[in-house]
Amino acid sequence: MTGTARLKLLVLPAALFVLAVYAWPTLGLFRNAFNETGPTGAMIEAWSLKTAQEVFSDGFTFELTLNSLWLSLSATLIALTLSYPVALFLFRTTSRFRGLLAVIAIMPMLISGVVRVFGWLAILGDRGLVNTLAQSLGLISTPVKLVFNWTGVTIGLAESIMPYMILALLAGFGQLDRTLEEASRSLGASPARTFWRVTLPLSLPALALAAGLGFVLSMSAYITPKLLGGGRVFVLATEIFEQATTNTNWPVASVLAIYTLVLLLLLLVASNIAARGLQR
Amino acid sequence: MPTRRLVIQAGLASIAAPAIVRAQGLSGSITLMSYSGIFQDNYTKTVIEPFQQAFPGIKVNFAPGGTSAQMVGSVRAQKADPQIDVAIMDVTTSSIGNSEGLFEKLTPAEFPVLNELLPEARAAGGEYGPAVTFDHLVLVYDTQNLKPPLTTLADLWRPDLKGQLAISAPPNIQGLALTAMVEKMTGGDYRKSIDGAIKKLRELAPSVNTFEPNPDGYSLILNGVVKVATGWNARSQLYADQTGGKIGALLPPEGSVFQINTINLTAGSKNRAAAAAFVNYALSQAAQKAFTERMFYAPTNAQAAIDPKAIARTAAAPESRARMIGLDWNDVLKVRDQWNNRWRREVIAAAR
Amino acid sequence: MSYLELSGLQKRYRDSVAVDDVSLSVEQGEAVALLGPSGCGKTTTLRMLAGLVDPDRGAIRLDGTEITRLPAHRRNMGYVFQSYALFPHLSVARNVGFGLEERGVNKAEIARQVTEALALVRLAGLDGRRPRELSGGQQQRVALARALVIRPAVLLLDESLSNLDAKLRDTMRHEIRSIQRSLGITTLFVTHDQVEALTMCDRIAVMNRGRIAQIGSPEDIYERPATRFVAEFVGRANALPAARDAEGRAVLWGQALPVKAPASGEFDLFVRPQRMRIVPVSEPVADGMARVTGRVLRSVFVGDHVEVLLEGAGGQLTIETQSGTAALPEGAEVAVIWQARDTLPFARPSARETP
Repeated sequence: MTGTARLKLLVLPAALFVLAVYAWPTLGLFRNAFNETGPTGAMIEAWSLKTAQEVFSDGFTFELTLNSLWLSLSATLIALTLSYPVALFLFRTTSRFRGLLAVIAIMPMLISGVVRVFGWLAILGDRGLVNTLAQSLGLISTPVKLVFNWTGVTIGLAESIMPYMILALLAGFGQLDRTLEEASRSLGASPARTFWRVTLPLSLPALALAAGLGFVLSMSAYITPKLLGGGRVFVLATEIFEQATTNTNWPVASVLAIYTLVLLLLLLVASNIAARGLQR
Repeated sequence: MPTRRLVIQAGLASIAAPAIVRAQGLSGSITLMSYSGIFQDNYTKTVIEPFQQAFPGIKVNFAPGGTSAQMVGSVRAQKADPQIDVAIMDVTTSSIGNSEGLFEKLTPAEFPVLNELLPEARAAGGEYGPAVTFDHLVLVYDTQNLKPPLTTLADLWRPDLKGQLAISAPPNIQGLALTAMVEKMTGGDYRKSIDGAIKKLRELAPSVNTFEPNPDGYSLILNGVVKVATGWNARSQLYADQTGGKIGALLPPEGSVFQINTINLTAGSKNRAAAAAFVNYALSQAAQKAFTERMFYAPTNAQAAIDPKAIARTAAAPESRARMIGLDWNDVLKVRDQWNNRWRREVIAAAR
Repeated sequence: MSYLELSGLQKRYRDSVAVDDVSLSVEQGEAVALLGPSGCGKTTTLRMLAGLVDPDRGAIRLDGTEITRLPAHRRNMGYVFQSYALFPHLSVARNVGFGLEERGVNKAEIARQVTEALALVRLAGLDGRRPRELSGGQQQRVALARALVIRPAVLLLDESLSNLDAKLRDTMRHEIRSIQRSLGITTLFVTHDQVEALTMCDRIAVMNRGRIAQIGSPEDIYERPATRFVAEFVGRANALPAARDAEGRAVLWGQALPVKAPASGEFDLFVRPQRMRIVPVSEPVADGMARVTGRVLRSVFVGDHVEVLLEGAGGQLTIETQSGTAALPEGAEVAVIWQARDTLPFARPSARETP
């Protein structure tokens, strides 16, 4: 047996695992997309495009798409703005606590999304930390609505994708070299100018990578929009969930899931092209 | 001679108690899928455990199934190789399972207990699994912090409740039930149109804190997030007891709607005889009495002799029955998407 | 007062002292090398000069003004980094023009000066290239042009030639020296390469363990090393364990030499291999000459010279002779002679102390 053949054999268990837990359900998804739904919700086995036609002729699908894109864009931009300084600090620090700080930064990843959402409720609710504080300081007289709407979902989502973005940024900071910033300063550029002319341009590939990842994660997030949205935030992911688990409408859920998958693939390709362009 | 004595004893026993002999003939394990949490706890104590005592050969595994839609989804996914023998779920989803052939038709010949059931309990499942519990939509409220207390459905529009409401919107069946109730309140009939309800609910929308209470309305009230929520009577009664009356449940004088759970025998069950025995037992007078007295679901067995105090807290009480709106969930299923869309575009949109 | 004055500079890190009391005066237009092994504190000294490291103690004065705490971007120091540190996202022209842009020079003037600077380092026409499209030597020239174009108060070069191959390094050495001379620019080199230091500078400061061991002209450093460390680090030297006779003369391999021994303690005699000559044993000893005898152990042809390893009564020593002289057979008995004044006695460090 040649070395490569043996290597391929080693990959076999993993390949079978992926096939079982990913490829097979995905095939099921494609199959269901061609089924139809009867008037009272029963699934009718078929090979038709009727469900797809219904989904794409419904203006609400378009609305959901825009909502998803807008939510993902705003959450990604907020998370990127907040993650970048953190990642930059972690990348540069020579502190002996660097490992610990990095773990703290990505700690939210280790906590269940549901638990974090309830944490946000405690902070952003009508009687939450922010409103109580603002009221006791006399800044506002009645609570400001920070949850159960788009604001809450955007905040919660931005926070939930931050750890992933920090990791992506750290992975993407390849070109960023402290010496280049020193060179810039020695040439007369102030720290601010150095950031603008050297650090930021050299961070662009990392930022593109992180933004791509954050966007994809935001597009597919449903726990946060569902729990913090108060039933007012309709995005593709929550609609897929709702159709599958409340309406028992698997064909519609499948069509929407495939549609989202295609959207995400297109976005990933675009972000890869952009990242490669920036690396040049 | 010991051998003869044994034979005689065995013979006497078989003459005296044929039912027990039949019970002893059944064995193996079956899986029951239904709601988790307090439903699972109480159903296990009041129905499953006594059943297992009566049928020592049978072991009932309780599989928590999430929402009704998720349960019918599980059964659907296992159609080729069913792992669930009996499922208790909302009628709107069991009817989907019935039309997809996931559940068996039940005949009075095999299930004599069907003859003891209320007509509407039989009707709920058609020829398939009948209703096993009745519940109804209530307005749940904070008895300590809401002054004056809630007395009517129309009270929801009280200005002091602005921001204090947790309303489950469609496609959740609470939202569907509420739509029918509000239509009735405005003098209409959901079968003809829900224009009146939508118009009225649109006015309510700005008062709503959340249209998707999580984990549920009861918790939001207990945590002080809201003062009023939509809820189901049985759970509200139980929570009222558990919290020393902090939670109150109102069956609005304007009317309410039944929620029906059906019990369903999975087609192709691998231990059909034991599963059938369980369905029979779950609908029996003893099981219905025990579960109603424990958890305040109205019974579906007309002959069950239930403590009047428990009955009074269910929709089975005569004055409550009079308030119920005759709602056919099969009708509502057909218009669910329509209602859902109207809520999203006309009601929830008004609350943004 | 000199143009550039470092006085009492010190920099400590968590568990070590990088620079410990460094003082140095540099005249305008002078080129000074900081020479020393890695970890001797030379780069840290250079970085303190550029403002990239804050000294813990001491002061830096430039042209009479104290700049010790001045931020790097206001010091006007041209720094050429070991890795060149060219901006990968900018073209050659924009790299070179970077400092001028920061100084608000107008576009036309920048273009003119960039062209001029690139011509100076003989890179005319490569303006549009990206750094990664250049060879190592070309990148080095861009880095130099970028540092020169801002007309820095001091040009700082940090091991700038160490990443080049031997031949290119030789060329660049001369080019940098001639540019430095023609522009009359005050320059500090950091290097661990003594050839670089000896050929490119007016003066050399040899550093060891955070301190300056000796400052002087290349000749001073080479011919008159002040310490044993300098003698060992700069150039090659035979370190020959010696004894002392009753008259206070140094005794090597049993032969008294016309060299004064230190008053006390164990010591070695340092003699550069190329200062020694091999002569027949029969040749008489001239005045002022030191002489020992031994047997040729090995004779190796190295190109421009022949290296001869000699074994005597008290050890071995190496001699570099001109190539072209007749090869010596192994085992031949010969005498080695050198000027007594080329002999430097240094105390031998005790076993605990490492040089």
